[in-house]
Amino acid sequence: MLGSSNDTDVDNNRRRLLAALGGSASVALAGCSAILDDGDDDDTDDTDVDDGDDDTDPDEEEGRTNADKAQAAWERIVDNPAPEDQDIRDEAFIEIEEAIRDDMILLPLYHNLEDRFWYDYVDVPLTGALGAHHQVHTETEVDGDDELNLINSTFDELDPIMSTDTASSTVINQIYETLTMYPNGEPEIENQLLEEYEVSDDDLTWTFTLKEGVEFHEGEELTADDVVYSWRRTVESPNSERAVFTLDSASGIGIAHETDDDGGVVPESLAVEAVDDYTVEMELVSPNPAVLDILTYSSFAVIPEGLVGDIEGYDGEVEHDEFQTEMANGTGPFMYDDFTVDQEIRLVRNDNYHGSEPSLESIHWEIIEDDEAIFTYAMEQNADIFGIPTPQYDPDLIDAEEDDQGRNVGTYGPMENDETAEYLSVPEISTFYFGFNARNVPREVRQAVAHATDHSELVEDIFAGRGVEAFSFTPPAIWPTGPDGYEDWLDEWPYAMNETDIEGATQVLNEAGYTEDDPFELTLTTYDDAAFQEAAELTRQKLAGTGVDFDIEEAPFSTLQDRGEDGDLEMWTLGWIWSWEDVAYGHFGFEPKNTDTSVMPEESTGYYLDWQTELEEEA
Amino acid sequence: MSRWEYFLKRLLLSIPVLFLVITFLFIMLRLGPIDPVAARFGPEATGADVQRMRDRLGLDDPLWEQYLQFARDLLLFEGQSWVVQANRPVRAVIYDTAGPTLWLGFWAILLPLFIGLPLGFYAGLNPNSWGDYVASIGGIVWLAMPNFWLAVMLLAVLRQTDGGGWFGFDWYQLGPELRSITGTPNLDWYSISNVSVFDIVSFPMLTGMDWGAFAVDIKFILPPALVLGSASMAAELRIGRTAMLETINSNYVITAKAKGLKQRVIVWKHVFRNALIPLVPVITNEAFILIGGSVIVEEVFNISGLGRTFFLAVIQGDLPLAGSLLFMFTLVIIFLNILQDFLYTIIDPRVGYER
Repeated sequence: MLGSSNDTDVDNNRRRLLAALGGSASVALAGCSAILDDGDDDDTDDTDVDDGDDDTDPDEEEGRTNADKAQAAWERIVDNPAPEDQDIRDEAFIEIEEAIRDDMILLPLYHNLEDRFWYDYVDVPLTGALGAHHQVHTETEVDGDDELNLINSTFDELDPIMSTDTASSTVINQIYETLTMYPNGEPEIENQLLEEYEVSDDDLTWTFTLKEGVEFHEGEELTADDVVYSWRRTVESPNSERAVFTLDSASGIGIAHETDDDGGVVPESLAVEAVDDYTVEMELVSPNPAVLDILTYSSFAVIPEGLVGDIEGYDGEVEHDEFQTEMANGTGPFMYDDFTVDQEIRLVRNDNYHGSEPSLESIHWEIIEDDEAIFTYAMEQNADIFGIPTPQYDPDLIDAEEDDQGRNVGTYGPMENDETAEYLSVPEISTFYFGFNARNVPREVRQAVAHATDHSELVEDIFAGRGVEAFSFTPPAIWPTGPDGYEDWLDEWPYAMNETDIEGATQVLNEAGYTEDDPFELTLTTYDDAAFQEAAELTRQKLAGTGVDFDIEEAPFSTLQDRGEDGDLEMWTLGWIWSWEDVAYGHFGFEPKNTDTSVMPEESTGYYLDWQTELEEEA
Repeated sequence: MSRWEYFLKRLLLSIPVLFLVITFLFIMLRLGPIDPVAARFGPEATGADVQRMRDRLGLDDPLWEQYLQFARDLLLFEGQSWVVQANRPVRAVIYDTAGPTLWLGFWAILLPLFIGLPLGFYAGLNPNSWGDYVASIGGIVWLAMPNFWLAVMLLAVLRQTDGGGWFGFDWYQLGPELRSITGTPNLDWYSISNVSVFDIVSFPMLTGMDWGAFAVDIKFILPPALVLGSASMAAELRIGRTAMLETINSNYVITAKAKGLKQRVIVWKHVFRNALIPLVPVITNEAFILIGGSVIVEEVFNISGLGRTFFLAVIQGDLPLAGSLLFMFTLVIIFLNILQDFLYTIIDPRVGYER
């Protein structure tokens, strides 16, 4: 796709010129380009106000749809997994993003901002884009106290293979360790239990050498057998909730294994082997560049061999019930002390830790869900580090500056209790979006919604500024071509960036035959969330009278998911949060053949788009 | 029919009620739109993992098998939670959450009894006085304030007294010191050990009390109990006033006055007991409301109790947990009904079971 990148360059040059002419405000920019486009620029997709015929990408070969483009790009990603082919994959990732944008199969709304507040007597490292739950409190200090007091949401499992939420992994990451880690949630991998690794020439065999002399809390030394046992549990134990991360090569590592007739994994067939006490060998189904990233996920944490008897060949030293909430035996810097589910949990320092020992004696989490209760607990200074719920949050109290990682660092206050807290906000690697089912919603309607959406208005008014406008599914923090590439991407946004372009919307709709008198009836389903309800209502009002007639409904999260899998949604709100830093981990769900809701969830695992209906071969 | 025959009959009658409740819940949760597996996994759910969990929970078994399993677990309290406290035995969940709710409920019934009733009786004894007006209007206003609002306001006000609020009033330092006004009460102020008599029988007995911790728990529970009991407090005030008014104007009171009895004797010995009769069902009914009403108060004050757990179980399709809790609530309600009948016979000897 050389032609594509050339065109992009041309376009960028023009953009830069425009920026110089029209000032920095993006609103002015978009208006400006609309005028210029009129005569001199046929192949641009900057705006749809004037050139109505650019529903299809100009770079396209004859008859090739956006879905085809995405399908081909995804296949190229799968076919070129070697580390040196990163450029090929990056280009394909961008093509998928282009297909999503041009076809408007999914409208990204915002990337979540994770913010964090702490009193000035706490000294804690700043956290990064992958989330504060990666932070291990070895460097945290509380002036005048040996205990760090925190707030957490409800969770009920300390078993790493059951952990699917940040609440439990926040705690599990203090107790158990994985081979690799993201220190403080910053997107750069560091070794944790790993000493070094080797990859074979075919990229299929990985050999991990473990650190020596690492001891579990109860005194046993960690060996390769423990790793094999722990990883076997992720696929063989009935308690495992993230087997896919181990087995699937598109959305996980893809370790070789055999399956039985029921689709389960044959015991001991997982291709992970202990070569000697400190060496683990792993065989993959296909090369996977993201292995070290995925290994940071809590489910790959190492527990002592034979601790629980939920896989074949082990009787277990403790019952699984007990292992789940009443004990823990990891290698991390903190040890289990006491856990009352839905009330509180306390960990104490592991004096035998193999890394740098924490100065804290203990960490205590109070489990609170309610906004009012969280705020009260924080204002009483019972929590040292906390979040402020949106109802009590006041953006005017922030005094912060952006650092080199795009984080806002500063202070927040004075708060209700007259204290001023330290403040940090980090754009999280997550995207919240309006999705469309291609079978149920024609492309013109999808594009009209994009025209009418004003991202900055949404973020400021509805999400109280706690987000960053999203113009791509892949968040800027992990954009394949880096920050500059992302700037170029922004410049190409064709649906009137940060403004409500009703004219554009009307035009697309009218051309497709939808008018005020004969509108397209569209049902927008949001999940149980006040902000998304408001966003839906705003979109409905904007498009009223243009040719789309909205019907807004609300469904509990699980119902929304069920209906999505049945292909029974037209337009909906959902979000995607990356568990590790890998574009493919978000993009696998866009492969058109993987969005077929008629075989979901058994055979397809993508988003509920039914994008395969727009593939050329299907049409 | 003797009293005991009557109770036995009541108990037998409650069996079909229980059966209906169990079946209804099963139908609502199992055949309704809520999928516990989706509730558990969130947006990152994928086919294989979902199927594994469905198999483990038995969601693909024939429906009648699921029903039998459900009913059996329920009667024996042997199920395991699916979502809310996934994989934990229902018994353990109830053990953790019942204490705080009972403690909250106890005070939420006691407070109105000792505030609402005396005020109501006072108003009834002094009708159309200033005191009556203040009490009655206060009662209506109090009744009109919804629990969720009252809870949030109370938190906001008490929170601001931390470190000395208005006029130096500091709720945290007043009496026993509180660390937080939210959270779950510890309830570890009693110690129970097994006492054996001549090594033959052994039975648990209260062997120690930590009065300091006891006081802390009482102080902690007062604000949420006040909120939870607010509606019943007002109801008791109003009904108490009416009952008192009715009784004080009845013929036997005039007779008693004519007999020359002192006002104090008339009120406490004759009027009081009679005025209590219409209040008995009001008070026992409160207990039912408290079970449902505690959801909001428990949520706002972050008390990990039965109400909140039950609510979460229902909205997340946690069939075994919701079923067991509902079963327990039903048992409690049946028991309270019987207790109510029993109380009648004590307060009003005219009520009997003989025809």
